[in-house]
Order: sequence, then structure tokens, then C-alpha cells
Amino acid sequence: MKRKLLASLMCAVLMAGLLSGCSSNEPEKKEEPAAEAEESAPTDTEEGESGEEAKTADPSEYNVVMIVKQSDSWFDDMATGVEQLRKDTGLNVSVQVPETGDAASQISIMEDLIAQGVDAICIVPNDPSALIPTIEKAREAGIVVVTHEAPGIAENVDLDVEAFVNEEFGKLFGEKLAEVMGGEGEYAGFVGGLTMDTHMSWYQAAVDYITENYPDMTCVTEEPYEDGNSIEGAHDKTLEILTSYPNIKGLFDCSAHGGGICEALREKDKLESVKVVSLALPSMSATYLKDGSMQHGQAWRPADAGYATCYAAYLLASGQGLETGTDLKITGYESVNVEGNIAYGNAPLEFTADNIDDYNF
Amino acid sequence: MRGKLDQFQKILLGVIVLYSIFVTIKNPAFFSMETLFDLIRTSSASMIVAIGLLVVMISGGIDVSFMAVALFGSYTTINLMISLGINSLVFAFGFSALLGLLLGLVNALLINWLKLPTFIITLGTQNLFHGIMTTFISDKSFGAGVLPSCLHGFGQAVLLKLPTENGSTALTVSLIPVALAGILTWFLLYHTMIGRGIVAIGNDEEAARRAGFRPFFLRLFVYGYFGILSGVMGIVYTAQNNALYPNKLVGDELMVVAAVVIGGTKITGGQGKILGAVLGTAIIYLLNSTLILIGLSSSWNNLFVGAILVISVAVTSYQERIKNRNHLIFTE
Repeated sequence: MKRKLLASLMCAVLMAGLLSGCSSNEPEKKEEPAAEAEESAPTDTEEGESGEEAKTADPSEYNVVMIVKQSDSWFDDMATGVEQLRKDTGLNVSVQVPETGDAASQISIMEDLIAQGVDAICIVPNDPSALIPTIEKAREAGIVVVTHEAPGIAENVDLDVEAFVNEEFGKLFGEKLAEVMGGEGEYAGFVGGLTMDTHMSWYQAAVDYITENYPDMTCVTEEPYEDGNSIEGAHDKTLEILTSYPNIKGLFDCSAHGGGICEALREKDKLESVKVVSLALPSMSATYLKDGSMQHGQAWRPADAGYATCYAAYLLASGQGLETGTDLKITGYESVNVEGNIAYGNAPLEFTADNIDDYNF
Repeated sequence: MRGKLDQFQKILLGVIVLYSIFVTIKNPAFFSMETLFDLIRTSSASMIVAIGLLVVMISGGIDVSFMAVALFGSYTTINLMISLGINSLVFAFGFSALLGLLLGLVNALLINWLKLPTFIITLGTQNLFHGIMTTFISDKSFGAGVLPSCLHGFGQAVLLKLPTENGSTALTVSLIPVALAGILTWFLLYHTMIGRGIVAIGNDEEAARRAGFRPFFLRLFVYGYFGILSGVMGIVYTAQNNALYPNKLVGDELMVVAAVVIGGTKITGGQGKILGAVLGTAIIYLLNSTLILIGLSSSWNNLFVGAILVISVAVTSYQERIKNRNHLIFTE
């Protein structure tokens, strides 16, 4: 509400300024990105129509806003990355946090930003397809839209930035599992749910990699087990797997709930004989990595993803463009691989007992 | 009559035995102490709320807010324990139960004041309680290392440990709160005036009122009692998982409702057995935890639970009709 009021006030002030034929030069504040945007917007669009060459490359001339999914430790870390980008380059970039983790609140924030006329919007969609109409509206208004974690709607946006090619990340699960299992024995994998595309492609890539490279390892099931994205689910299913396949030697979890597996193994005194590899959040899995019940955890760094996404948005908004090999100035995204509308980094993050305390998300 | 198995519970036991034989034939690994211990471990939290829900349903109401109450109680309590550095199981259970009691009383007061179907009111308070928690208390997740160590100690504690081929199996200590809830509820329902009152208002509130029972007082008691059990369940659940999320539990209510109904509880009130609720929960967890053993995908679980639910409702209503005929009551 406050923001809307602010925006309309800004417009009124600006109109007055235009009518009287002078331009105000107030110093811009971080909380009021609208002021700067409103002033630079008219010249930008006019020149955008006449020719690209007139755009400046000065980051401080551009206004980029990142909309995250919700407030939690993951996106708090992402915000620190965005803040870092602001310090490093002087780009006018800020983060908007929806009050609830749904598409509706993200849409209303986007509408506000369209009204303010920012240069670029970065968004991590809660429900990608629900955002398409609003994204189209933003792009019609000349705003660059860059998504993260939404390859499915890549053709509707200017660019989608991914931390890695899903197959590569999945392969890492397979590699690590084979490594901790010594390359032999029975194993099984979990996903959050069979309908979760990213989990499924990681799972498939991991199993394919193992089948190809480790003939002595056998996957006990046709399809992955579902942990329902809960510790409880992972725990209960693990108990069943242990009964059904007493010779199992390794388990991997493509959803971040490997802790449940570790709890079940501890109850059964099988921590020694069964190895665990899981997608992991440091805040939720540090204990298991440190006490040795989880051998390997992996994820990607939200701060770096936020940094790269916003920097990519700046490159597009300033007309510099992005191609394979472009450097997004942050670890893992030094040389992105652009395919269609998707820019892939190579930024998987591997956790071990030694480095887990360095991360805070 | 009391204390003995009635017809319906015999059917439930029969289903459990037949199904167990079937699974054992498919996979002999099923037939072991380990399976029983695992079943007790995984179903213990749900058993506690199933017993509480039974009391509410006997009183003629229904409560779908109990998971939100359990989450509210345990989340708030543990949050407090982390920030104040309290590491005491007594505090955890006590404070969570107290919060549960308060929220249960809110339910009862609203039901008494608004005189709306209890389903609608508790559906509202479910969202209300959860919303208050995530908005005003916190919506952060807490991992294994941060939680008070006494909780993890409780979650991992065992009463009895047996060695297996390459590991061990153990009887969880969570059986104790389940047993306490069962015994206390049995005593309340069958050996106190309050219990008689609960059954009476479940059968016919007006008749109960004329007989001298006070529905308002009984409702306060029923929903308050369920609140306490929910609070306890929240702590058991968190201790077992060794992780605290602000968005778990809520959404799993109907599974417990199904368990209690499968157990032969009449949804319109006045009738239900503790053993029935326990067996109903056991059946759901049994079906759920044997799919891997017999090599079926998890979507079969819904099919099984749905089928058993429909059959048991049909059997309950059929028995009711036979009984009515025997008493020369013809309702249709």
C-alpha cells in the first residue's frame, strides 16, 4: 500500500516537474528507486526506439529489482549476493520479498514495478506459468525480465539464468554416491515427488551415470521413492527400504531431506554400512555432515545465483547483451553457456564436514 | 461388553491379519519384530491425535484444526526453548500442551458462540492458528544441530533394543505418550461422569441437556483435552524428526480423520472405541509402509486407504441398521 502511494506521489511530482519544464536533481535513495527510474525512463525509451547505441553502460544509470519467492534463509542469502553486486558495480539493484510464498503476491509486486518503470525485473517465480501475463505486460512496457529457476517459461522472458545444467548436477549425485560406496553394491534414490521435474532429471542423470560407469552398482527400483519433501517421509520410507532390501549400501536424496534418512539409519545402527548423499541446506544438514552420517551434500549458492541473475539483467537492459562465454562476474558463472533463452552457469556447491560451516543458508 | 472386542474390531483385526499374511507370502522379510517396532515408531505421533479426535467425534463434533494446534504448540515452544536456552523435556511437553489447551478452548468457545458446524469453525481456526504462528512468531526452519538436545534424545530413546542381522531394531519410547493418552482417555470416557456426558451430547444434545449435562462445559473439556494431546503430539513429532519446519503437519489432518472413521467411529457422534481408532491408524500405516515390500508404487496407498475407508463406513452403517431393526427402529 505504502509503495503504491509513494509511486503515485512520485508520478505527481514528476508531472509537475515536466509541466514547469525543469528537471529536479534530488539525490536518490535506496528505498526510492522510483525517483531515478521515472527520470531516466522517458529518455531511455525514446532513445531505445531511435537506436541502441545511445544507451550508457554505466551501471548506476540502471534500476534492477529482484523479486524472490519468500522470506527464508535461502532467499536471505540470495539478498546478500544482490547487495554485493550493488557494492561491486554501483548498479541500482534492490530485493523485494513477497509477504507470502505465492504467485499472487509476486504479481502485485511486479505490477508496482511496471508502474514505476524500472529497467529490469529479476524474479524467482513461485508458479512460473501463472506469471506469464504479467511478464508479457512488463516486457511490453520495455522492461527486461530475467528469471531464475524457471527454464519452463524461458521463451516468455528475456533470459532465464540457471546455476547449472540439471543433468550435470544430477551426475554429481551419481559420482559422489559411487565414490562413497566404493563403486559397488545396491542403492536407491529419492525425489520430493514424481512430478517434480528438476528432481526427476537429477535422479535420472545420477542413475544413468552410475549405470554407465559402475557395472557393480545396482539400483533396486525402477522409479525413485518419494519423500514428499519431508523429513518424516524420508525417514519412514528409509525404514521400509532397509527391511525390503537388507543389503542396500547407499541412498541419495534429490530433495533436501536427507536428514530423515540419516535419522532412520541411526535408529537401525546402519550408519556404517549405508552411505548417504543428499541435496542439502547447510542450516538443515550441517549436523549430519559433521557427525559423518551424511557423506556428501550438494546445492548451489543462492547469493551467487542472485548476483549472476541481476548482473545478467543489467547486461540486457544496457543493451550489452549476453552470449555463450559472457562473464557474470561471480564464481561459477564466469563463462555462461547460453542455449536459447537460458544461460547456464556451472556452479554446483559441494558440502563436506569441513566447509559446511562457511555457508549460512 | 466393555473391554471385549466388538464385531467391528474383529473385522479390523481380521483385515490386519489377512493383509499381513499376504505381505509375508510376497516378502518373508515382513514377518519380524522389526516390522512391528517400525510400525509403532512411525505411527505413534498420529495415534496420539487419533485418540484425541475420537473423543471429539464421540461428542458429535469434528476438529480439523488439531495439526495446526500441534504445530503451533511445538513450534512456539521449541522456538522459545532455543532462544532462551531451555533444555528440558518437561518444559517442552508442558508448555506445548498448555498452548494446545488454550487453542482448544478457543475452538470450544467459538463453537459455542457461533453455533456453526464444528467442521467449518475448525477449518477456519486451522488457518487462523497457522497464520498467527507464521506471521507473529516466526517462519524459519530449524535444523538438527539447533534444536534442544533433549528432544533428539527423546526421539532416539528406546525401551527395548534387539539385534538384527546387520544392525538393530528398537521399540521407541514414543510408545509411552501413546499408552498414557490411551489409558487416560479410556478412564475419562468410561469411568467418569464427564465421559458419560460426552457420549450423551454426541447422541442427542437436547436430551443430554434435559438429563442435566452441560454441553458448554463438556465442549470446553473435549476441545481443551484434544488441544493438550495435540500439543504433546507436536513435540513427539518434532523429536522424532529432529527438525522443525513451520509448514509441516498442517494438511495431514484428513488422514487421521480417516483412521478414526475406519476404526468404526460414527461421524455423527455418540459411538466410537479407543481400540478402533488405534487399529484404524495402524491399518493406514501398515498399508502405507508395506508398498515397497510388495513392490508397488506409492500411488497405491491412496487406493488402499480409500477402499478400506469406504468399506468400513459401509460396514458401520450396515451394522447400525441391523441393530436398529433388532430394536424395532425403522428409519428408512
